[in-house]
Amino acid sequence: MDDLLTSMSDTSAALLDAPDAVATNGNGVATVSATAMIVLEDVRKVYEPDVVALGGASFVIEKGEFVFVVGPSGSGKSTIIRLLLKELEPTTGRIIVGGRDLTRLKRSKVPLLRRNVGCVFQDFKLLRDRSAFENIAYALRVQGESNTAIRRKVPEVLALVGLAHKAASRPDELSGGEQQRVSIARAVVNHPPLLICDEPTGNLDPDTSVGIMQLLHRINTAGTTILMVSHDREMVDKMRKRVIALDHGLIVRDERRGGYETE
Amino acid sequence: MTRVKLVVSEAFRSIGANVSTSFAATMTVLIGMFLLGLLIALGSWVVSWSDHVKDQLQVKVFFVDDVTPKQINAVGTYLRTNPERIKDYQFVSRTEALERMRKKYPELTENLPTNPLPDSYEITPSRAEDVKQLSGAIRGQKFAGVERVKDGQQTSKRILQVARVIEVVFLVAVVVLLTASILLIANTIRLSIFSRRREIEVMKLVGATNWFVRGPFMVEGLLCGFVGAFAAVALLLLGKEVALPSILGHIDSSSDVRALGFSLTAFILLGVGLAVGALGSGLTLRRYLKV
Repeated sequence: MDDLLTSMSDTSAALLDAPDAVATNGNGVATVSATAMIVLEDVRKVYEPDVVALGGASFVIEKGEFVFVVGPSGSGKSTIIRLLLKELEPTTGRIIVGGRDLTRLKRSKVPLLRRNVGCVFQDFKLLRDRSAFENIAYALRVQGESNTAIRRKVPEVLALVGLAHKAASRPDELSGGEQQRVSIARAVVNHPPLLICDEPTGNLDPDTSVGIMQLLHRINTAGTTILMVSHDREMVDKMRKRVIALDHGLIVRDERRGGYETE
Repeated sequence: MTRVKLVVSEAFRSIGANVSTSFAATMTVLIGMFLLGLLIALGSWVVSWSDHVKDQLQVKVFFVDDVTPKQINAVGTYLRTNPERIKDYQFVSRTEALERMRKKYPELTENLPTNPLPDSYEITPSRAEDVKQLSGAIRGQKFAGVERVKDGQQTSKRILQVARVIEVVFLVAVVVLLTASILLIANTIRLSIFSRRREIEVMKLVGATNWFVRGPFMVEGLLCGFVGAFAAVALLLLGKEVALPSILGHIDSSSDVRALGFSLTAFILLGVGLAVGALGSGLTLRRYLKV
């Protein structure tokens, strides 16, 4: 199991290694290093006509970090996630993920970006008419993996999330926690260097949440960078990871080993 | 190859998982194609009938009884040297005319002591609408030995009017029905895709390209279109073989009035069914792919 996790981080590093080197921002807003996984440079996002979702956010997340993004509803957390997946374009500013400037990334390359960024959502976003196995396999099929490779990789990753025995179950036959494990398995089966989680424990009871957090922690320890939006105060306080707090589209706090609120 | 297999198997999976919407789409194609088929058959029959009727509009030049061959030749030369309005012309001698008459009305010609019919020219104009100008022009030549020039003014006017009305009505019906069936099919496809927009969103989020998402949907549309069109063709064939003879049993089939051949109609229906299914899905999908 640990071998798998290690190999995962190795491949990750190779997959997204920066071709266009990250340049330093002239305004000195963000200090960019070659080891950065995510760079936001003064990113503003204004929805029509004049709703400011993000009012100039800048931060750098290094490879291998585990970062919480917290804040009340409407503070811009979801906007950040959608910007990172290039579901949205920033109004101004620059976003660099794994060394690639998303504002310059062609639309046709977006699928490639998404294969290299794992996603876990609050509502799991599983395909309901498919088994756990097929849900995970889909992420491999979209990039043309052979059936042989799929039969090898999917059981590995199912074992990693502790669901080897549920491979044939459909989402509606699984508990919430199990569905979230399947969606995590799908997110990491491509060995992405970056995993983005949008309130992954938002729909789960506290005990189940702890299990999910442990799983994510293990994936992070193996080298995958994790950015996680969370409302789970207790969890954020317990983990003592870096916390970026947003309010009304502005970064109000960025602490190395922070809690949900400033102490 | 594996790619194709994958797309096809994804399409079958999705048909299996969405039986009711697939069925609805198939039925809509069936209805649309059935209507289109009926219309093609009916319409082509009507157009062919109106052509047939127009073909019967002729200018007839009747000669006097003691006409000389020279006088007949003069008219023949005129017809030969003025071909712009004339599609075809034929000399009908009095013997031939009687022969024809005999075939058509045997009881009338039975006891004739002499042949009362004159020699004549039958002239078919290039456009049925020109029949009047043509007869006028021939009259204007004032040929010797010509008794009279007939163009059946009243009948021709009537026939032309009816033919025009039928053509217009048919054209309008085609446009209306085609639009209706296209809208119906497009709407069904839109509903079926709308009910699966979340699925499409998920596919895009795990990094599927647009074509990877679109492929199975288009194959599915292709299948629904094919099955629907095929069923429509089967129904039309049934109607043609069973219903039509009992309704129109006594209409003689020897005339040159014909509907478009059935196999050609079937071919058109299958083609349109396939195209509507695949393009309909492909195009409707576009707006949901912008994730």
